[in-house]
Amino acid sequence: MLFQKRTERIFIWVFFPLALMMPLFLEQNTFYVSKLTTIMIFAIFVMSLDYLVGRCGLITLGHAMFYGLGGYIFVMIAPEYDAVNFWIYTFYICAISALIALVIGFLVLRTSGIYMIMITLAFAQMTFYFFSDSIEFGGNDGVFIYVKPDTSLFGISMFDLDNPIHFYYLCLLSLFNTLFFFRLVTRSRFGRVIDAIHENPGRTTALGYNVFVFRLMAYVMASALGAYAGYLFTMQYGFVNPSMLSWQTSGSALVMSILGGLGTLYGAILGTVVYEGLHYVLEHMTEHWLLFMGALIILMVILFKNGIAGYLEKLLEKRS
Amino acid sequence: MNTHVILKTEGLCKYWGGLRALDDISLTFHDRQLHGVVGPNGAGKSTLLNLLCGHYKPTSGKIIHEGEPIDAIKPWAFARRGIGRSFQKTNIYPSATCLENCCIAAQRRMGGSFNFLRSRHHQTVLEELATNALEKVGLAKRRDQVAAHISYGEQRQLEIAMVLATSPCVLLLDEPMAGMGHEESLLIIDLLKRLKQEYCIVLVEHDMDAIFELSDQLTVMVDGQHLTTGSVEQVREDPRVREAYLGQGDEVY
Amino acid sequence: MTTSLFFVQLINGLQYGLLLFLIASGLTLVFGVMGILNLAHGSMYMIGAYLAWYFVENTGSFTLSAIISAAIALGIGIVVEKTLIQRLYKRNHLDQVLLTIGMIFVFNALQSILWGDDPLGVQVPDALSGAVPLTEVVEYPVYRIFVAFLCVAIAVLMYYMINRTRLGMLIRAGESNREMVECLGIDISRLYTVVFAIGVMLAAVAGVAAAPMSSIVPGMGEHVLIACFVVVVIGGMGSIKGAFVGALLVGLVDTFASVLVPQLSSMMIYILMAFILLLKPQGLFSS
Repeated sequence: MLFQKRTERIFIWVFFPLALMMPLFLEQNTFYVSKLTTIMIFAIFVMSLDYLVGRCGLITLGHAMFYGLGGYIFVMIAPEYDAVNFWIYTFYICAISALIALVIGFLVLRTSGIYMIMITLAFAQMTFYFFSDSIEFGGNDGVFIYVKPDTSLFGISMFDLDNPIHFYYLCLLSLFNTLFFFRLVTRSRFGRVIDAIHENPGRTTALGYNVFVFRLMAYVMASALGAYAGYLFTMQYGFVNPSMLSWQTSGSALVMSILGGLGTLYGAILGTVVYEGLHYVLEHMTEHWLLFMGALIILMVILFKNGIAGYLEKLLEKRS
Repeated sequence: MNTHVILKTEGLCKYWGGLRALDDISLTFHDRQLHGVVGPNGAGKSTLLNLLCGHYKPTSGKIIHEGEPIDAIKPWAFARRGIGRSFQKTNIYPSATCLENCCIAAQRRMGGSFNFLRSRHHQTVLEELATNALEKVGLAKRRDQVAAHISYGEQRQLEIAMVLATSPCVLLLDEPMAGMGHEESLLIIDLLKRLKQEYCIVLVEHDMDAIFELSDQLTVMVDGQHLTTGSVEQVREDPRVREAYLGQGDEVY
Repeated sequence: MTTSLFFVQLINGLQYGLLLFLIASGLTLVFGVMGILNLAHGSMYMIGAYLAWYFVENTGSFTLSAIISAAIALGIGIVVEKTLIQRLYKRNHLDQVLLTIGMIFVFNALQSILWGDDPLGVQVPDALSGAVPLTEVVEYPVYRIFVAFLCVAIAVLMYYMINRTRLGMLIRAGESNREMVECLGIDISRLYTVVFAIGVMLAAVAGVAAAPMSSIVPGMGEHVLIACFVVVVIGGMGSIKGAFVGALLVGLVDTFASVLVPQLSSMMIYILMAFILLLKPQGLFSS
């Protein structure tokens, strides 16, 4: 069985049908549809981070770098006024960001622990300044994208990206596929080695595995998916700007992944939905929502270590 | 020595700053023999094992495996050449089942570690290999139990099973009987007797009775230096060995 | 570049580097002794600058303001350590990161509530307001030179404290062997509180010193935090000496880059870091 945990199966059966029906209720309100779309997109990003941090034990504070790169790579390689093919560019963007991740990962994964946290952050800042200082990429204002790609595959166009509802479904599908993909990977033989490295890297080396190469592969994979999320975000809003690369983006993604339940993958969706929901509510209640958000994060670290998924699993899993 | 030499060291040295943990050790290890290494605490036995498995890099000297010098290769490459080791302090994957522990080891040999999509349970050959390893050490009944929940002695057995599951040619065992009760030790002795008919084993052990009983070759080390190597009888009668042990006031049986 | 411009940039770079050292030394000290990575360290720098502005406005005296601000920072340090940081000692790096991110949010919100989001400025104190002529045409502000000397003085003081005093002995012992310090019958939690409070104060003092030189804006803390990370990564985590060398390197590279390669200026220190990382993954002065 692909989804081994009962809690995860229940979650999938509750969440995805609900998400599928959501536009029926919100048809009149494109604001909420677009808000939900953004949450789906960010959940993909958070899930890719959750895989790195929770499954591989690689704590990075620079994951937003790839989120931003997803958008900037598109701006760099796509012609300005022609509609390009969505699927082909998805491939390009994942491939190019994977190459970048290969180089960065080669440097970053030589270190570990606190060092790695700081170095990933520093690299992300480097790209942040690269784009925010460059005139070519519009500095802090970023770059606008005038034409949305078309999504035809073998001559059949499935989604019209100018239609918010269509775009919503594309993002929902992407989210499900990401979860499905990561589940395949965690269940595979590669996943077995990653689990082993996470639990006991020294022993895994002694058994003859080149730990560095496995970590690098995982890093490349998660980075490419992070870039895909950034690409979707850029498609949704029609622009890319440096704030996508900022450490706040990495930081809040990390918070969401912990809030959802570290390493559970589907928890990333829970965490993103709850965090963004809270954010939305607090923002409407008070100008100083940051204060409450900060306090909540602090409380979460102290009291709520296993996250929402951890809590649900305690309730729903059969005790062995 | 009529059998095939699998592993050999030439003038192996390891210094930590000014401290000579291991000084000029030249030994040969033969196929299907159990080579015991004894010595008082701090004699350099564990350092020797850590060098032989690639965990430490030697300060100078050579390690030769099947005629090729291997001291410059990466730690993980040692295991790939079939040099497997167990650890003095239990070193397993406590949250995984015993079978999974061995599967991790067996998969190194079987390959497919870069298969991202197919289920890890897909091919049963791998699980067979892992189960065989468990059977060899007598842990088949614990197959599906989580490693953290089995007894300490069983964890030590699992440790050996994991090495076996990599289908090694050399077993480096670092005090496999440490902290075990008498009964459990007997089980391990029995196991090692069987294993040495198939593998080249280097055994570091404090239990003198066990090592005298098991060794085909016995090396005595003192203060990082090689004192003597020979059959159990030769070593027992060597006056220097008695002196070294009595002088240190350490265990003599 | 003319010689005089070169000279001015050299002093600028050194002065910026020394200020960075002041902040980074606190970060590295707290990590070295307590094993805690405090992401909210930059917020303390920001709070220092805002406090300086507030008390200059209300007392009219920069000296008085500096003293009060440092004292408040010390207090914040003690309270934060006792209530929050203490819970982190047995936790992993991730929890440290999250909790201190939460603290950044809280401090940023407090800053916004207490002082608003408009840029603020502090007048250079009268006694230090002039400029010294370097050559016939170039002069350099007295205040900046004063800050540079202040940083050197604090560096010397720290060196003395760590190598000559009892507290320093405990800090050094705590860095190498935590259990041993406990076995010696020393109250380790008190040592931690003291060290953390000192770290916070160092950052806040740097903020106070920087207040008259740059405008006081929200987000100034994060900017400086990242620069400190680069310093610490270059110098070696936990090493005060490394922080000193790293800070001067970063200060000089950053300053000269903005003159020589303006289009790459803000990236230059990261390139430096990547380069050093390739050669020495643990930094220049790691143990």
